[in-house]
Amino acid sequence: MPDSIAPDSLRRLVLPDRVHRSLYTDPAIFDLEMTRIFGRCWLFLAHESQIRAPGDFVRARLGREDVIVVRARDGRIRALVNRCTHRGAQVCQAERGNTAGFACPYHAWTFGLDGALNSVPHRQSLPPDFDLKDPRLALAAVPRVESYRGFVFGSLAPGGESLVEHLGPIAAVIDNVVDRAPDGEIEQAGGIARQEYRGNWKLHHENANDTLHPGFVHESSVSAARGDPRDYAAPAYDGHQTHTQMLSNGFGVREWQSLSLTGFPAGHSYMGGFYRGGVLSPDRDDPVWREYRARLVARHGEEKTARVLGEDRFNNLLYPNVSINAQYQQIRIVTPLAVDRTRVTAFCFRLKGAPEALFHRAVRFLTNLSSPASMILSDDIEIFERVQGGLANPEPEWLDQSRGLGADRTEAGGRTVSAGLSELPHRAQYAAWLRYMTAAA
Amino acid sequence: MNAAVEIDVKSEAEAFLIAEARLLDAGRFDEWLALFAEDGFYWVPAAPGQSDPLNHLSILYEDKSVLGMRVRRLGHPRVYSAQPAPRTAHLVGNVTAAPGAGPGVDCEVRSTVMMAEYRPGQAADRRLWAGQQTHKLRRTPEGWRIVLKRVDLIDCDAVHGILAVPI
Repeated sequence: MPDSIAPDSLRRLVLPDRVHRSLYTDPAIFDLEMTRIFGRCWLFLAHESQIRAPGDFVRARLGREDVIVVRARDGRIRALVNRCTHRGAQVCQAERGNTAGFACPYHAWTFGLDGALNSVPHRQSLPPDFDLKDPRLALAAVPRVESYRGFVFGSLAPGGESLVEHLGPIAAVIDNVVDRAPDGEIEQAGGIARQEYRGNWKLHHENANDTLHPGFVHESSVSAARGDPRDYAAPAYDGHQTHTQMLSNGFGVREWQSLSLTGFPAGHSYMGGFYRGGVLSPDRDDPVWREYRARLVARHGEEKTARVLGEDRFNNLLYPNVSINAQYQQIRIVTPLAVDRTRVTAFCFRLKGAPEALFHRAVRFLTNLSSPASMILSDDIEIFERVQGGLANPEPEWLDQSRGLGADRTEAGGRTVSAGLSELPHRAQYAAWLRYMTAAA
Repeated sequence: MNAAVEIDVKSEAEAFLIAEARLLDAGRFDEWLALFAEDGFYWVPAAPGQSDPLNHLSILYEDKSVLGMRVRRLGHPRVYSAQPAPRTAHLVGNVTAAPGAGPGVDCEVRSTVMMAEYRPGQAADRRLWAGQQTHKLRRTPEGWRIVLKRVDLIDCDAVHGILAVPI
């Protein structure tokens, strides 16, 4: 049984300056993560714009569960486990759509949008005490589903901290992306990119706020972009965006060090000051941006607009399954499939009320960063797979995460802060990991 | 257009596609890039029947300048996602050619493409990419130039691993 891993054994695997390789390779630890982290924490499921009308649904994965996130007739959002309570067939094959209910293709048991069993064929051959209203016959529902400004999260734990408590100050990134919409609303649009890599899920999160790797892992794209004449006439569809996204990994040591890293006790983290350098900033002096900014000022006024657009947090990780970029309206969901297999799902948002061309920039960013042919993410994924390959060796047993150790400052609320060239986010993630993994049931 | 001319254009287009495929299989990406017109685009949509590259993400949507960065990157000694270099075998078939419909397009060639890919190394991937492709071509004194190469993969909206080289 996974729960047989004693807390003391787990504590021996996570030290401030290093973690044990079994965290990435041991299926028993992965099983326990699925129970204690993905089986309890608040996980991002969907955005409300994907399920606006009653009957709208979208599929998601919640830990080990294949769930259908659906808006019922009463407007309430539920997450139902995609498994017929009769013989176990999936009741939904589509990734998203609109439906009056869910009918099992095997023996035609039908379920309502609330998961209730509505009908079964040939009642007379079932036992007399067979009761359609028996809750065990309804599609299993995720016990807690909550929404924060349109972002829907679910938790398999019946109790515990609320979504807002779990998110804490990292919720600011959700506020920021919504506040960037001149109409005060955002919607998922532009398609969904999906990739899988043969490596542990935690490799993705460690990498997101790792400031030392870009100069090495992304050297080929930085170099290719630098070889480009800066003044070539960029076609409208791109507007130098590919170029700047590739260049953005080309900071020198001093620039990376000038950034700040912030970690939270819940495992969240972000990089601050990234856009200050101006390389990747969406704030371009062009007609599209000026028009957008004017519309935002009309909503918020000058002072708040400056604050909203000046928010300078990059790669916001909402532990344990989602990463959000407000500046380019991107979201990336990380789904563990096995100890050595992970799915990355990415999409972008349309800022309602913004010029159409601004949405095209978000789509371009998504293609550049999250497509299988990405000139950036592909090299990260390649490295994740090489790390997983290396960790298959029984020795050495440990992975080092000591960069910047001793320079982390602890501030109010337990957040830790450091300068850019630090493995602080790794340490924050593993401190949280250990707490989740050793918490009593 | 009479039948003899049609056959002529078709065999010319077929020869062009085969020559292009050989450049890709040989990893001669600079020469492949040179097949594109200065205003040429390379598009691999991410949705079946995708009509719009601006409002929907693509696997690849690049004009010649961005494609040039991609090709330069593939020539870099530390492009990890393409190391060791993938080996590919393209097969192009079911070729039909029609007169070009748009401005600056002299010929539109439709074909089916399959690219078997082997990535040596620890991943040791063997993969098959397949789909329909459309080449919009312009006749120039230097030969055909690609105005648009569009590859519609049968699994364009599926979960993928890395696609390190052009199809």
